[in-house]
Amino acid sequence: MKNKPVKCKDVFNYICDKLDADLNSPKCRSIKKHIDDCPNCITYLDSLKKTILLYKVYPKVKAPKGSIKEIFAKLEIES
Amino acid sequence: MKYNTPTHPEPDAKLLRSAKKGNHQAFAELVRNYEDLVYSFAFKVCRNKDKASETLQDTFVNVYRKLDQFDHRSKFTTWLYSIVTNNCLMKNRRTKLDEASISIDSVPLPHESDNHHRDEVIPEWRSTPLDKVMNSELKDLLDNAIQKLPSDYRIVFILRDVEGRSAEETAKILKLTVPAVKSRLRRARVFLREQLNQYMTS
Repeated sequence: MKNKPVKCKDVFNYICDKLDADLNSPKCRSIKKHIDDCPNCITYLDSLKKTILLYKVYPKVKAPKGSIKEIFAKLEIES
Repeated sequence: MKYNTPTHPEPDAKLLRSAKKGNHQAFAELVRNYEDLVYSFAFKVCRNKDKASETLQDTFVNVYRKLDQFDHRSKFTTWLYSIVTNNCLMKNRRTKLDEASISIDSVPLPHESDNHHRDEVIPEWRSTPLDKVMNSELKDLLDNAIQKLPSDYRIVFILRDVEGRSAEETAKILKLTVPAVKSRLRRARVFLREQLNQYMTS
C-alpha cells in the first residue's frame, strides 16, 4: 500500500478490522490521508462506529434479584 | 468517538481457592461478583429475560461443578465467558432461535459491491441517542437486526465490540483462530450497519 494510491476498498477493509486503531501511527498515514479527502469513507467509518456505540449503550441490564438463591437451589446446596 | 468498555477484574486467588475447595460462601461471592456479567452477556445474545435467567443459572451450576478443572492457564473471565457462550449456543439450538437468522454470506462487504462507493454519496448518520432517551422503534430495530445474525457471528460481535474482549481472547473463548474472529466480526459489523442504515439516515 506504500507506493500505490490508497483506494476506498483498502480503507474499507482496514476500518472494518480496526475501528479503534490509532490512525496517526506511521503505518496508517496513507489510510488517514485518504480518509481526510474522502467524504464517503469518513461517513462510512462514522456509521460503523455509531453501530457499535448503539449496541454498547443498549441494552443495559443486570441480573435479576434473587438469582443466587435459585442457583443454590438448583445445586441443592445452602449459602 | 470514545466509549467505555466494561471492565471485569479477575477474582482474587484466595477467593477462587476457597470456592474450589467447596466453600459455599466463597462460591456465593463469586456468583455475586460475576452474575451481572453473565446475565448481561446472555441477554445481549438471546434478547429474552427468561432465557438469560436460565442461562445465568445453568452457567453457575456448570461453574460450581467444573471449578476444580479451572487450571489458571486462561483468565477466569475467559473461562467464564466460554461456559456462558456454550450455554447460549446450546439454548439457541434447542429453541431454534437461529431460524430467523439470515445467511451472513448473502451480505456483501462494502468493497464487494462496486457501486457502493463509486457512484453513491453515502448519507450521514444522525447522532446516537443514549439508552434512556432511545425510542422503542430504535430499540426494536436493534433487537431485530442482531437477532438476524447467526449466533456464531452475533457472539463474536458482542464479545469484541460490546464486551470489549480482544480478538485473541475471543478466539480462545470460541475456540476459533484470530483470522476467523476478524472475518466474522467484519461481516457482523457491516451487516448490522446495513440493517440500521435506513433508520439512521431518514
